[in-house]
Amino acid sequence: MMRNLRLAARMLLKTPFVSGVAVLSLALGIGANAAIFSIFEQLLLRELPVREPGQLVNLAAPGPKPGSTSSNDAGRSTITFSYPMFRDLEKRQTVFTGIAAHKLFSASLGVRNEPVAERGVLVSGSYFPVLGLTPAKGRLLSPDDDDVKGAHYVAVISYAFWENKFGKDPGIVGQPIVVNGNTFSIIGVAPQGFDGTTVSQMPVVWIPLEMREQVQVREDAESRRSYWLYLFARLKPGVNIETARTAMNALYRPIVTDVEAPLQVKMDSVTMRAFKAKLLRVEPGARGQSQVHEEATTPIMLLFLVTGMVLLIACANIANLLLARGAGRATEMGVRLALGATRRALVAQLLTESVLLALLGGVVALLVAQWTMSGIVALLPPFAAAMLQFSLRWPVIAFAVGLSVVTGVVFGLFPALHSTRNDLIGAIRAGANQITGGRAAARFRAALVTAQIALSTSLLIVSALFLRSLMNVSRADLGVRVEHLATFSVDARRAGYDTARSAVLFSRAEEELTAVPGVTAVASARVPLIANSDWESTIKIQGHDCSAESECQVALNRVSAGFFGALNVPMVGGREFSAVDRLGAPKVAIVNQAFVKRYKLGDHAVGKYISDGNTDSLNVEIVGVARDIKYANVKDEVPPVFYTPWRQDAHAGDMSFYVRTSLPPAQILGAMRATMQRLDPNLPVEELKTMPQQIRETNVFDRMIGILSLAFALVATMLASIGLYGVLSYTVAQRTREIGVRMALGADARSVRRLVMRQVAGMVVIGGLLGIGAALAAGRAARNMLYQLEGYDPVAFTVAVLLLASVALLAGWIPARRASAVDPMQALRYD
Amino acid sequence: MAPNGNGTPLIKLESIKKVFYTDEVETHALIDVHFAIAKGEYVAISGPSGCGKTTLLSILGLLDTPSGGEYDLAGESVARLTPVDRARVRNRQIGFIFQAFNLIGDLTVAENVELPLTYREMAASERKDRVAKALERVQMSHRAKHFPAQLSGGQQQRVAVARAVAGDPAILLADEPTGNLDSKNGEAVMELLRELNQNGSTICMVTHDARYAQHADRTVELFDGRVVEAAAV
Repeated sequence: MMRNLRLAARMLLKTPFVSGVAVLSLALGIGANAAIFSIFEQLLLRELPVREPGQLVNLAAPGPKPGSTSSNDAGRSTITFSYPMFRDLEKRQTVFTGIAAHKLFSASLGVRNEPVAERGVLVSGSYFPVLGLTPAKGRLLSPDDDDVKGAHYVAVISYAFWENKFGKDPGIVGQPIVVNGNTFSIIGVAPQGFDGTTVSQMPVVWIPLEMREQVQVREDAESRRSYWLYLFARLKPGVNIETARTAMNALYRPIVTDVEAPLQVKMDSVTMRAFKAKLLRVEPGARGQSQVHEEATTPIMLLFLVTGMVLLIACANIANLLLARGAGRATEMGVRLALGATRRALVAQLLTESVLLALLGGVVALLVAQWTMSGIVALLPPFAAAMLQFSLRWPVIAFAVGLSVVTGVVFGLFPALHSTRNDLIGAIRAGANQITGGRAAARFRAALVTAQIALSTSLLIVSALFLRSLMNVSRADLGVRVEHLATFSVDARRAGYDTARSAVLFSRAEEELTAVPGVTAVASARVPLIANSDWESTIKIQGHDCSAESECQVALNRVSAGFFGALNVPMVGGREFSAVDRLGAPKVAIVNQAFVKRYKLGDHAVGKYISDGNTDSLNVEIVGVARDIKYANVKDEVPPVFYTPWRQDAHAGDMSFYVRTSLPPAQILGAMRATMQRLDPNLPVEELKTMPQQIRETNVFDRMIGILSLAFALVATMLASIGLYGVLSYTVAQRTREIGVRMALGADARSVRRLVMRQVAGMVVIGGLLGIGAALAAGRAARNMLYQLEGYDPVAFTVAVLLLASVALLAGWIPARRASAVDPMQALRYD
Repeated sequence: MAPNGNGTPLIKLESIKKVFYTDEVETHALIDVHFAIAKGEYVAISGPSGCGKTTLLSILGLLDTPSGGEYDLAGESVARLTPVDRARVRNRQIGFIFQAFNLIGDLTVAENVELPLTYREMAASERKDRVAKALERVQMSHRAKHFPAQLSGGQQQRVAVARAVAGDPAILLADEPTGNLDSKNGEAVMELLRELNQNGSTICMVTHDARYAQHADRTVELFDGRVVEAAAV
């Protein structure tokens, strides 16, 4: 083994440039995969850092849920439970050591007189015992902290929060912390590395579930028709998931049929049957509960596919290199066999060389992985970058090493077998300086390069599709000019404001912000613009009967007076909101063009009445029609929207502000924060950014996929061109004598170049066609991810194919020129 | 045929045939070849170019298999040996000396000589010992750490001889051992082979040069794949 290693090292050092290129090729392939694996591992594989995570299970309650549902990053509303159902199951179950409930909430925290906007979690008393955690300091919440509604003002904070905000103060236990306006006592610090049970969310404070009203989470806890809690549990020793599922459904079904079904009024018989047939799901819960598990799978798998192709292309280069090296060492192999080496021993020796090469590639790949991850961080918005650890942890290192070994063995095997085939006499007689290589090897080499071209072509086309889609996204007509806009949000309710005080605060904020030098206009809205937020309501429209409830479901927003003017959104008809549209004045609304179109209001929208919410009273007059502006995100069609003045809303507690400035918007962010701090130093200012920045963050996945796929496709093309160059150089070297003979017989330089370029053209045409076929299939599969673009977009296909063909022809031209420069006299003397 | 001391030849060939098939053409490289080599003998196989000398040597060295006939080595038929067994026999019973030396350029002189020993389960100390003795026999100890490219052709062939004898094989097979050497170095190598034979080594050498064939005890003459003469020198 050591001898093999020594010899392998010597072989690599013998041709440092070629070995270096090979190591770099592999490093690019393995590194890109390791980087994507790092994200994959963190988001989709990693288990919770708790005792025996394999014993945790998640509970889900799919099926009809009439009433209200509320969900967050922990998962869809299909898996949420009502509070009474949680308490019923908690009391009666026998198969778990405990069931825990949790609900994330936005937390405005006051720490040592500093306001901070963070995430908190409401948790049942069983939460920490079920997870089996040990506190870093003090104690964790227990059932005794969660036994009486509104009784225990206690909180646990995260280790990172203790470190960052309290400087790891050893006297942390007993210190106060203000959570959404109420003061709690810190009883302990969660263990280091524990950030809750929802990937992508890093809550910093845990509050007992029974303190929900004290932290302004106003879900209807008493109602069985209000579904908002996420549940997980720990299996008792000896109980498996199947047993638990059976046992839990034996409890759940009678509650559904005997207690909850009678509460459903006016439910049609079909829905009732489905309601009564509802089953509780028990699923593995080692990874916690998170929407990310569902949402990130497709983009990550797509990136994995791309980086996998990059690695395949790199590996093809290595296989070609090893084949060429093997041909050069045919005599050595023949001699070794003649001296009594078994083929197995020689294959082992050659595999040692390829694995060593791959391992060196793997080591450099860790650097590439680190750079790739840094590149990904640069593409992500800060909140998303914060949830991922972009450091090389042992699973990534293990992945890189494992991938290196597999790569070395798989792609070293054919060359090793080929180099040690039983053509002893031919090998020995060929002599040390002659290159030998059979037809099989030549075919294999050509096939590898053709495959590389096919893979690169398809990658280039797919990346061109994503890039064109991204360009469409960034050029999309938003309906509003965002270049000179800046924005931020505040939640006055969480800072202890009641509705009346909130309204005063928001009005003052508008006035103060308008007075900031450089500011030309200020607007505010309850639903932030183009920020993946939405608010829908079912309404009634004068003169229009909706055949289905969904037909009258529209988006809404509550906005300030002068909102459209401040955003430069023209009114198509009627008027803009003004200061007279306040609480107590006649209720008014402005609708957008999509609204007019859907309900066929034509030129008669203004003056019609609608209801605000699902009531029968048509008491809101449409006073204007505004031009369409994008609502939740750039890619979705503009939905029908009706706007009402927030000053006519009795519940305005949170608000997003839009500041138009004649200066570059980034220059005014500091002044905006300072203005709000003057108004209330305890009110956290959230999401303070320019609007272009906001739009970029909304499109983060498009940007990430577009830019990364292009980067990987260019790397793939570069590797493929190296492969093509290598194979052609080798072929030219092998055919030097033949070329010499041809030239001696009268072939000119042009015809020799044509000879080589014909080989290039063959590989490019076949590889290109295969790549186009693969790209068509990929384009069809990725259609949903493309914006205003078909999966067969001719521009993307043409540009990508031309680029690939140009690079390939360039890579082929150099060896072709070298071939045409062969001196026949020299070539015929070649030995 | 010259039997060895106890009546069993070291090498015995009976009706050996070798046919090459290429693109519908049959080439009969060896036709009904009979001969034997006794232990301690020094045999030269000679004949014009293309007469089948090297093919015969390849079959003797288990680098190739005959199309027909019987080949016994040290009293054992080699016909049904598996590839692994053939490798083992090559390693332990046969020492090769090639025309082009075929030293491995990436290994030092000592490592080249050690090479056949590494394919045996042999302790490192014994390997070192044998390498030292083999190099001493060919007077190349002082070049042990050099690489082949640093040696002259004659020196390279001496190292190749050392590699062939290091494993103490039953027979040395030499394929035109002087073919790539000038006459002075050629003579020196011939002298070396003579010495080895005198010290008990059995040698079978292919050569087309009558001068060198005279060094052998006996010459087997091949012509168009047939043995036409087996004469004592």
